[in-house]
Amino acid sequence: MSLSKKMLRDIKINKTQFISIFLMAFLGIFAFCGVCSEYYGLEQTSNDFYADNNLADGWIYNTTITDDALDKINNFSTDSEKQLVVKSVGNFSNDPDITLHFIEDNKISKFNVAEGEDINISDDSGVWLDKRFADAQNLTVGDNISFSFNGITIEKEIKGIGYSPEYVYEASPTSILPDFKDMGFAYLSHNAFPSNIQYNVLLVKFNQSADDFEDSLEKSVDCLSFTRQSEHVSVSQFNEEMSQHKMIGNVFPIVFILVTFLTLLTTMTRIIAHQRTQIGVLKAVGYRNRSIIMHYMSYGFWPVLGGAILGLVLGPAIIPNLFYPTMSYRYSLPAWHPGFDMSFIIVAAVMVISSLFVSYLAARNISKENPANTMRPKAPNISSSGFLESSKLWSKVGFNIRWNYRDAKRNKFRALMAIVGVMGCVALLVSAFGMNDSMEHLKTWEYDDISHFESKLIVESGASLSDIDSIREDVNGSTIMEQAIEIKVQGNEKVGSLLVLNDTNLISHTDKNGNPINLSDTDISLSAKIADSLNVGVGDTIEWHIVGSDEWVKCEITNIHGEPLSQGIILSKDMLEESNLTFSPTSIITSKNVTEDYDSIKSISTLTEMKNNWDEMTGSVMMMVSILIFFAVLLAIVVLYNLGILS
Amino acid sequence: MSTLIEFKDVVKEYKSGDNVLRAMDNVSFTIDEGEFVVILGPSGAGKSTLLNLLGGLDSATNGQIIVDGEHVENFDDNELTEYRANNVGFIFQFYNLIPNLTAVENVELMKDIVDVDIDGCAVLKSVGLENHANQFPAQLSGGEQQRVSIARAVAKQPTMLLCDEPTGALDSKTGVLILNLLQEMSNDKNTTVIIVTHNAILAEAADKVIRIKNGQIEDISINVNPKKVEDLDW
Ligand SMILES: Nc1ncnc2c1ncn2[C@@H]1O[C@H](COP(=O)(O)OP(=O)(O)OP(=O)(O)O)[C@@H](O)[C@H]1O
Ligand SMILES: [Mg+2]
Repeated sequence: MSLSKKMLRDIKINKTQFISIFLMAFLGIFAFCGVCSEYYGLEQTSNDFYADNNLADGWIYNTTITDDALDKINNFSTDSEKQLVVKSVGNFSNDPDITLHFIEDNKISKFNVAEGEDINISDDSGVWLDKRFADAQNLTVGDNISFSFNGITIEKEIKGIGYSPEYVYEASPTSILPDFKDMGFAYLSHNAFPSNIQYNVLLVKFNQSADDFEDSLEKSVDCLSFTRQSEHVSVSQFNEEMSQHKMIGNVFPIVFILVTFLTLLTTMTRIIAHQRTQIGVLKAVGYRNRSIIMHYMSYGFWPVLGGAILGLVLGPAIIPNLFYPTMSYRYSLPAWHPGFDMSFIIVAAVMVISSLFVSYLAARNISKENPANTMRPKAPNISSSGFLESSKLWSKVGFNIRWNYRDAKRNKFRALMAIVGVMGCVALLVSAFGMNDSMEHLKTWEYDDISHFESKLIVESGASLSDIDSIREDVNGSTIMEQAIEIKVQGNEKVGSLLVLNDTNLISHTDKNGNPINLSDTDISLSAKIADSLNVGVGDTIEWHIVGSDEWVKCEITNIHGEPLSQGIILSKDMLEESNLTFSPTSIITSKNVTEDYDSIKSISTLTEMKNNWDEMTGSVMMMVSILIFFAVLLAIVVLYNLGILS
Repeated sequence: MSTLIEFKDVVKEYKSGDNVLRAMDNVSFTIDEGEFVVILGPSGAGKSTLLNLLGGLDSATNGQIIVDGEHVENFDDNELTEYRANNVGFIFQFYNLIPNLTAVENVELMKDIVDVDIDGCAVLKSVGLENHANQFPAQLSGGEQQRVSIARAVAKQPTMLLCDEPTGALDSKTGVLILNLLQEMSNDKNTTVIIVTHNAILAEAADKVIRIKNGQIEDISINVNPKKVEDLDW
């Protein structure tokens, strides 16, 4: 009982060390639980969202889904639903791209209503709209909205606003940072389609693995393209983001936990050595060895327990909320909840128990000596000179090195703490500045080394070629065509982008290390990332098609290029036309700073805007960078301070 | 009076490296319950060694140490701890209080060890320190610290008080005060008190005087009429 008072007062005397121990334990658990909570939160919220809204296990695309194909597919799928998915332009001043889903039913990849009423399949006058788009455009339930596609315009009343499990991530056609004013999706009843409806997407649910399903699909029906759930743009992008967070959450608390233990070990060893006589007295008056060891174990226990509990509480409360705002810039979920997992408590408990063990290591010698000896000052531990010191080399080594070596040898744990602390600090700084650098590097690579245009004018879909050409002449630019494509090599498929260049020097090319390379008009170049993942190189043949068209093109790769952002194929207009595809420009790039409005131009993005978008998109990375630097500095202070006190 | 302590041919050897030092060489004596015993001898004679063996702080190399009919030399670590807790009250030359505990806390610490209800203030009062209960050792004079240490030792109500030069660090006036206190303990509470000292004058106050030299008993004498400590000629 009174010994706990002794403990408290001893802790008070050595408060800097115990504050360090508390702080390190807190930060270790805080970082671990915080980042994991953020990550588990994303995982749990997205998985719940997928499950609650019955996200499709796969998507089958074709120009039309025939009844015959549907019959066959239904044999090996558990459920399926047909949709007609078309790109449309919303009737707003900025001509937003709206993807319309005309649906036959709403049981797979269900629309998740946030405002208004649920989807009514027989309602041909209503539309259920993307909440992010509605918010960006200030639309509410009851408003009317019209869309144009394939030369027709339909006008509908907004009946509901909400989210879709297929649109957690929406790739923006014009910028890397989604601008929800510019894009969106909408669900409508099949009855709302003005003419005879021909479905082009089949959503499927199945029990077998995606591989097996794809096998069965290839065997029974041909000429269909299939995307499994894990490869769906929205799902895969979100998963990738989560796994990055997970890695950070698991790696960097380790340094703090190590430093906690080393500080604890050195502090306790020192305190116990200092209190040798007191320990002898406690033994002499009749304290059991066990009670004395427990007494010293309690020193580290309370700060570590306190730190762990505080970290456990504050980590999940603070860290997810630092990340979610930047995350919600790019991802759409109805709710953002920090997650919780039993592993948080387990890790915190393991930390506390391990700290008890560490204290035990420092205190275990207490029981070795009898009380009479313990009360006497300790006989000096005459350490042998060892191999190094008896060697010839030793005499040649400078005094400073000898001193440091002997010092390190005598205080093994202090030396170890210094090493781990410095290494941890350096590792944190290196990864922080590394992240910062690589972000900056990617930015200069993309916007200085590759792109040399000042403005990019996004062409309105359906604009006439002559209009486009006159604008091109007006701004003295060149037309390019960008499309989403699928690339296939021996059954392996990848989504990528197609970039068709029409004789321009506003875009240059680099290899995967960022060194300039030249592509001629007869070259077909594949980006290094895709080439690696498909295991192909120069001279190999690949097959690809523009998403939404079923014309597959076979070609031989003549070059491999590197690019930080979009991955896919680059070729010239000539080579495109050689493959019997038409060159339909999607944007005009120019070195002029264009500000005028053109009828056939949907939007203009300038290089500065793109760079700003990039910075905003990498906001969560920058947040991580600042957190890492903060932790590194703290770690350095704690380790240096303790070394100072201990020497 | 019955015999409380019996040393039979006790040998204590210290080994350091290849050297063996015999600090206690076939020592035998008895001490009765409630006796006030003074152990005298030159420095290095083995007085502290004797006290440590008796108090269970160290174990003998050979021989028997019988306390209250029990063979202390056969005790294992746990039994020794128990023995120290319940039978022995130690008073050291340098007081050895726990520096981070106040006087009263140092005394009440003993609640952890024995099943005796201890009123720290009352015990401190018995050594005349009721006004210093909440002071830390560093805030007390040497004599006061030693009195706290006596209070700590007697609070357990041990069968014997072992004092290793309890006045060694004190001026003679304070020393008399302490010794007087110890003699009163022996007389009033029938506690066996064993005091190691360099000061031969104290011999006149003892019931029994054990003189040792070079690890052996030189002489044991019994005072039929011991003087009171305060009446000695300091
Ligand atoms: N732990 C030990 N290791 C080796 N020798 C020891 C040890 N403790 C005591 N000795 C030796 O045993 C002998 C007796 O020591 P002890 O401390 O009992 O003497 P003492 O009579 O108490 O002397 P003093 O009056 O100076 O306190 C001495 O020669 C001492 O050197
Ligand atoms: Mg001595």
